[in-house]
This record gives sequence, C-alpha cells and structure tokens, in this order.
Amino acid sequence: MAGQSGELKLLGMFASPFALRAKLALSFKGLSYEYLEEKDLQNNKSELLLKSNPVHKKVPVLIHNDKPVCESMIIVQYIEEAFASVGPSLLPSDPYERAVARFWAAYIDEKLFSSWMMVFRGKTDEEKAEGTKQSFAVAATLEGALAECSKGKPFFGGDSVGYVDVALGGFVAWVHAIEKLYGLKVFDAGKTPLLAAWLERFCALEAAKAVMPEVEKLVELAKMRQAQAAAAAAAAQGN
Amino acid sequence: MEGKEENASEAAPLKLLGSWASSYTHRVQLALRLKGLEFEYAEEDLANKSDELLRLNPVYKKVPVLVHGGRALPESVIILQYLDDAWPERRPLLPADAFDRALARFWCHFADDKLGPAVGAVFTSTGEEQEAAVRQVHENLALVEAELREGAFKGRRFFGGDEVGLLDVVLGCGSYWLAVFEEVTGVRLVDADAFPLFHAWLRDFEALDEVRETIPAVDRLLEYARGVRHMLLGLAGAGGAGGAGADAPSSTAADAPTASPPPAAATATAADIAVDI
Repeated sequence: MAGQSGELKLLGMFASPFALRAKLALSFKGLSYEYLEEKDLQNNKSELLLKSNPVHKKVPVLIHNDKPVCESMIIVQYIEEAFASVGPSLLPSDPYERAVARFWAAYIDEKLFSSWMMVFRGKTDEEKAEGTKQSFAVAATLEGALAECSKGKPFFGGDSVGYVDVALGGFVAWVHAIEKLYGLKVFDAGKTPLLAAWLERFCALEAAKAVMPEVEKLVELAKMRQAQAAAAAAAAQGN
Repeated sequence: MEGKEENASEAAPLKLLGSWASSYTHRVQLALRLKGLEFEYAEEDLANKSDELLRLNPVYKKVPVLVHGGRALPESVIILQYLDDAWPERRPLLPADAFDRALARFWCHFADDKLGPAVGAVFTSTGEEQEAAVRQVHENLALVEAELREGAFKGRRFFGGDEVGLLDVVLGCGSYWLAVFEEVTGVRLVDADAFPLFHAWLRDFEALDEVRETIPAVDRLLEYARGVRHMLLGLAGAGGAGGAGADAPSSTAADAPTASPPPAAATATAADIAVDI
C-alpha cells in the first residue's frame, strides 16, 4: 500500500468475468480498494453505477478519487499507468510486445466469450455444437498465443502474470463452472496442454485465489438463469 | 552497433498493407503522417488477398497491417498505440494523464463497437430495419455530442485538445462515410442543427492538411459506396437522393455492372468499410 494515493472503489458483480479482471489486476498490483457488489444488475442497478457508467451501465467501474474508469481492460491499463510505481508491471516495456499483449487481450474479448455464449444460449443442438466447435478453435489459437508470448515461461507475461494473463484470468472461474455444467473442458490437457497447465498455475496464485469467486455459486447462477429462460419460453408459447 | 536484432529500431523501415477505401487503413496513414514518419504503402485487393497479408495477419486476415523491422502489427487502434510507444518523442496521439488516456480509449472503443456498426447497419439495410439503425446512430452521436458540450471534451476544438489525438484519428477516419452514406441512401445522419459540435469538429478535422492528404476524394468514395450498396440490395439504380430511381427493373446481382466481385465478396468488402466508422 506504500505509494498508493487516493481512494479506490470498484463496482462489480461476483459472477462477472470482466469485474474479476479488475479485481485480479488490483490484487496483483497489491492495491487496496473498497468493493461494491451490484446485487441486481438485471433489474435494479445502483445509482452509483448509473452515474458512473451512463453510456453502458455495466460493471466493472473503477472509481479513483471520484473519477470513473469503465471497461475491464481499460481499467487494467489505467491501474498500470496511474500506479506505475506500485507493485509489478502488467505490460511489458517493449513497444512490440505491448502491442502483442493488447492484440491477444482484444482477441479474447472478441472470440472467447462469444463462443461460450453460443453454447449457453444456443437454442438448438446445432447452435450449441457450433459454439463448442468455435470455443475449441479459439482455445487452439490461444494455445499458440501462449507459446508465442510465454517463450517457455509459466505465464503470458513471462515469469510473472501480465496483461493477457489478466484478460484470460477473468474467465477461469467460468471455465471451471462450464465443466461442471456441461462436462466441457474448454482448456483440455489433451488438446491444449499449455493452456491446461497455465490454468492450474494461474488458479494456484495467492493473489488470484484471494479474488476468485466460488465455482458453485456460478453454477447455481447459471442453472437459475437457464430455468428463468426456459420458464419465459414456455410462458411465451402458452400465450 | 548493439542488439540490432532485439528490437526494431526507430530507423527500421515501415510498410503498411492497406486498402484505399478502408477507414481503418486511413487511421494508420494519418497517424504516420501526423508523426512525420515515412512509410511504404502496399494496396491490397480485398477480394483477392495477398499471401503476404495472410501470412502477416493469420488470425483476422484483415488490413491494415503495419510491418516494422520485419514484425507485423494488425488492428488499427493497436497500431496507433504502438506508434506512440515506439516514437514517444514524436507528436503523441494519447494524452499524458492516465485518466484522460482511459477516456480516449473508452470512446475509441465506443466508436468501433457501437457507432461504427450502427452506421454500417444504415448502409446495409432498408425500410424499418434501416430506420431502427438510423435511430441507433442518432443516439450514439448524441452521446458524443454531449461529451463535447458538457462532458469530458467540453470546450475543445478537437477531442485531443488544441491538436488532434487518438480519438480524433479513430472517429475522424470513418466519419467522412456519414456524408457519403447520406448521399447514397438518402437518409439524414449528421444534422448540423442536432449535432452542432460534432459537425463543427468534423469540419475542422477534414480541413487539416494531413487529413486531406489521407482521405480519398469524395467522388471515389461515392462511386464505391454506390457500387457496394447496389450489390447488397441487388437492385439496378438503387441510390440515394440523386438516383434516377423510379421503375428500376428488378434485376438481380447477376445483372450488376460487369467486372464486379460476386455478392459474397461485396458483402465482405462492405463489412470492411461499412463498419469502419
């Protein structure tokens, strides 16, 4: 906490992989903050959230000395830049390596989450199968990215975690939840050995464990949402 | 000389693979010009991508790709930040303050994630779908206008302040499509009365020398956009306010002007430009 100036608040929600990224970054940097859980994002967003992120009304939002920063990877970059002298650096200093890190974080945003959504929300078996196929393709690409970025070291960031580790790390709790829900191993040791090893290593880090949500709670939430969706569909058909 | 293989030095040559009608490509060209950096330009035929492009950007296979010292950088906003990181002493695009940088990044993402696709949707649709897309564009522009009027960018000539910055380059290279699409689709997108500050900003942006050097002549853009929309709609003479319009025979894409790419490629090409705002 030495060197940390100003007041930090984080608006989040326990199941949000994007909020988890912000928590991970704060944890890895050793920064202290007040955490505010949005209890009902679907129906009753807090005043503070609506005021702090009027454009998207989404978590996470980092509020530093009353100034809001929105969007998970923008928050991570902000933390890196505003607290450059606190804790480890998350981005490499070499310009090209920074660009590579940004590239893979953006790829994860664009491809990983959307492929999983196809599995979750797919209405037909075909849609779900397509989502599964895509999520394996994305995992295969990330396997190559990990090899390229880590150069044989434990993390995308090298010896210690970096920007891409945080970007992917936000999703690890859901990776475990997906396995419990669907029996689907997103980072299968047989198909993507580097990612499977990375997953174990990442989850074993103290700073990650400190902020990781309980997988059971995610599974419960997913089942509840599926039940709600099924009930809504049945009600719609009944009319 | 030490370590010349380690990092591409500032002196290593720059090559840009791009497409003349791609606003993502224009962003990089403009940034290079603003920073006074020499570069070689290679035009890609998006309907027939070069082996070089496919090799340099295997994940997305898109332009622009900047090659510096033999290393490839894809994705326009990533390239722009790279230029700042690699040439920090030359006219930085991002502001110095961490919070201002976060704001610039936020609105760049908004431009690419929300505004751009909405404008693209106006171009690729008709009827009710188009009306909904137009409303979306207006909502998005209203948010930007509000930031100029009373928010993060209040009182500024450009988003970057007195001089253009990252967000100007990102929003600006693409905003010229608004006028082109208005002409081609007959739909009003940027009303100077409804969005006076955005309108004024765009006018000032487009007047800059480096911008005039970068953005293609409006005639070429109009011709291109008309061709793409024609292809997408599969109608002869489909056009905007200036079109001959009436009683066009219901021709299919097969009857479209000769030497044009098939519809799938046209859609791909449209996707490359239509979401480029």
